[in-house]
Amino acid sequence: MASESIVVFAQFQSAVDEGFWHRFSSLKLNKLGIDDSPIPITGFYAPCSHPQVSNHLTLLAESLPSESNEQSSTAATSGGNRNRCPVPGILYNTNTIESFHALDKKSLLKAEAKKIWDDIHTGKAVEDSAVLSRFLLISFADLKKWTFHYWFAFPALVLDPPATLVDLRRASQYFSLEEAKSVSAACNEWRNSSLTADVPFFLVCVDPNSLATVKHIKDWETCQSDGNKLLFGFYDPCHLPNNPGWPLRNFLALISVRWNLKSVRFLCYRENRGFADLGLSLVGEALITVPQGRAAKTGNGLGWRDHQCLPNAVGWEQNKGRQVSRCISLAKSMDPTRLAISAADLNLKLMRWRALPSLNLNALSSMKCLLLGAGTLGCQVARMLMAWGVRKITLVDNGRVAMSNPLRQSLYTLDDCLNGGEYKATAAVKSLGRIFPAVDAEGVVMAIPMPGHPVPSQEEDNVLEDCRRLHDLVDSHDAVFLLTDTRESRWLPTLLCANTNKITITAALGFDSFLVMRHGAGPFSSNDERQRLGCYFCSDVVAPIDSTANRTLDQQCTVTRPGLAPIASALAVELLVGILHHPQGIFADGELANSSNSGSCEQPLGVLPHQIRGSLSQFSQMTLVGQSSNSCTACSSTNIRKEEWNLSSKQSIILPI
Amino acid sequence: MSTKEESRGTLSSTDFGVAASAFILNWNTICSSFPQWTWVLSHHQVEGYLSLENILLSSTQEEHGELSFPGPGKHSHQEDPIDVDDATLVHINPCKVHYYDLHIIYCNSYRVPVLYFRAYDNDGEPLECDEIEKDLPAYSKKALSDSKWTFITQEEHPYLNRPWYKLHPCGTSEWMKLLFHADDDALAKTGVAIELYLVAWLSVVGLVVGLRIPFEMMKQL
Repeated sequence: MASESIVVFAQFQSAVDEGFWHRFSSLKLNKLGIDDSPIPITGFYAPCSHPQVSNHLTLLAESLPSESNEQSSTAATSGGNRNRCPVPGILYNTNTIESFHALDKKSLLKAEAKKIWDDIHTGKAVEDSAVLSRFLLISFADLKKWTFHYWFAFPALVLDPPATLVDLRRASQYFSLEEAKSVSAACNEWRNSSLTADVPFFLVCVDPNSLATVKHIKDWETCQSDGNKLLFGFYDPCHLPNNPGWPLRNFLALISVRWNLKSVRFLCYRENRGFADLGLSLVGEALITVPQGRAAKTGNGLGWRDHQCLPNAVGWEQNKGRQVSRCISLAKSMDPTRLAISAADLNLKLMRWRALPSLNLNALSSMKCLLLGAGTLGCQVARMLMAWGVRKITLVDNGRVAMSNPLRQSLYTLDDCLNGGEYKATAAVKSLGRIFPAVDAEGVVMAIPMPGHPVPSQEEDNVLEDCRRLHDLVDSHDAVFLLTDTRESRWLPTLLCANTNKITITAALGFDSFLVMRHGAGPFSSNDERQRLGCYFCSDVVAPIDSTANRTLDQQCTVTRPGLAPIASALAVELLVGILHHPQGIFADGELANSSNSGSCEQPLGVLPHQIRGSLSQFSQMTLVGQSSNSCTACSSTNIRKEEWNLSSKQSIILPI
Repeated sequence: MSTKEESRGTLSSTDFGVAASAFILNWNTICSSFPQWTWVLSHHQVEGYLSLENILLSSTQEEHGELSFPGPGKHSHQEDPIDVDDATLVHINPCKVHYYDLHIIYCNSYRVPVLYFRAYDNDGEPLECDEIEKDLPAYSKKALSDSKWTFITQEEHPYLNRPWYKLHPCGTSEWMKLLFHADDDALAKTGVAIELYLVAWLSVVGLVVGLRIPFEMMKQL
């Protein structure tokens, strides 16, 4: 005995492909702007193809209208195929989260339901049955955070009273063996023909000889002969054995209105591996009673046949049982900064994978580098460091970008020179950020206190402050590059670095020659008596003095062959990377190139020299080793001990001797 | 395919087209019950690639509900009650379902095919590499960690302009060389090297993403 329960339909489920959001973002940014008028879109679905998973109504990149076309007022339905039945829909995208939540969902649903109702009454739904599954999507696309809030509605006209279920069983149990074979064959033919593959509602006629034919629903009249079994078939996305899918709701409404049938036998068509599966498909019988509610009010007895009486509608998609919108974050695949970061990481990882398995990427990305000087050397060193994955870079320079700078100083452009010129430290930081947004770059506009340069008395406090600042800067970084343009400006930094045992790399340019070297460990760095490598000043015999006063113009500006700075900067950074990968780090002995020293072959990055001197006039380069000097003006222990750490001592060196 | 290319394990882009057609025919005939590969033309309609999409994988991973709620950790918006009627059944899939898309795209600079893939869940949210690894069968995980030729990177898809995962191609020609040299004489006689290139290639590459080539196809090698 059949139970008199109502038909319970399984709700449609939505699935939005990432490509839809990408395309929509681009449409919004390039074409729509703040225009929030509704956009016609196309959804795609197919009959259920898996016994345990329902199919979804899917949105893809192709669901949106093409950017080059003019806005069409009719629903844009792009072409479908057997796996993609196109269904018209509409998108309401708001410009703020508040307006998203404030949308009148009831009336939006009602408006779409009305369209379906109209299509049923005008007969359009018979010609183009996909309109029965018209849907609605509201969204808020947050294009700063790349998150998308959205909510689907699948409007279904509510039968009042609801349709009752007389019978529901597997199609294989309903049809005889002969009939089942014929029905499967007919359905497969329907599904394989490009004309009908994407038509989701159809009729199945089975004649008394068990021969089945599948027809378009507009051919309903031709199926009216005695002895024929007539089933209303539809692509059912749902896989459940006891519930028909959502599209049946509006299909029943159509059948009731157009053909005034009270008893409807339906086929929930489902597939497996591309063929009709009558074990998964369901056949059922529903009873529709003439809706009383509205008709009673209007009293014209027409009930549903009255076009003017729009029934109620339901259909907002429930989200895991809750009535809330959904949210998806696509920052990882859309945010350009994140994409740049992962691309940069990829490059380094490739290097490690293919050529240098011992590459220590963590050490590089966590290293903090201080660059004293943001000129020809500073700009190139900064770029090279970023290429190696160093993210934290601080540049110190008190100069402004001059008109001649952009040619040789690779972080600056003409714009930086205008209006007197930006401060180099600031301009450099901005430039680094434009190259790689994830860099953590800081600029310090500050002069480096130099011995031997006269300091007016009113400037004393400032100079002392600068000393303190420099001390703090050296302290808070792991490696220091001395890239200034005078000898004496390297003196105080060398002393400070030696005091704190920081990795220090010096690069200095002549007209056609260069020196790149790493300073040895500081004098207090270890207890053993081993010989330290020298610093920049160790081979000097005189104290650094003012080298810039009393010289001709060309001696004051460092004139060098343009090729030198990039070469020297590159070597300086490679030297740093070498130190980082050497097991002894700053304490590593100085090695010579082409040496027969077996130790050098073991390091994957090659030899780690102490000094590299190169000459462009010879296109030659050589490596040297120099030991520290006990009477070095910069890094000897006696000198440093003298300094202690109070400012009055500083005064004695800095102020006029 | 020129013997020069063959000996290097590479193939030209025209040969790739030929190999792809043969592969589709082969696969769709022998493995008709499997999802079918299709040839997709790029928007310029000049180049194309092989595509196998919407491969469904039922995951054993737990459903986690964070994705459904509006906005990461923000306002808890009080929604107006929405009309729901008794005729509506709201069903939730019992297990998390993951979908995979595979594309085989020719790489001009390395002159070999490259496998691009991506994975996502019901909500369209892309899966991370570590989540994908959880889906892979044991032999794939082993292949990934052991082999020095398998390196998964995330790069922009050449036609779709979105990040997809891919197996980096720089090792491909090396091991393709080995595969082809193994049977030099046989191939020279039958002359079907190009047609079999993709089957051979996919038999190795597929292992890494848990895609097994049906035995019937392998028999031809």
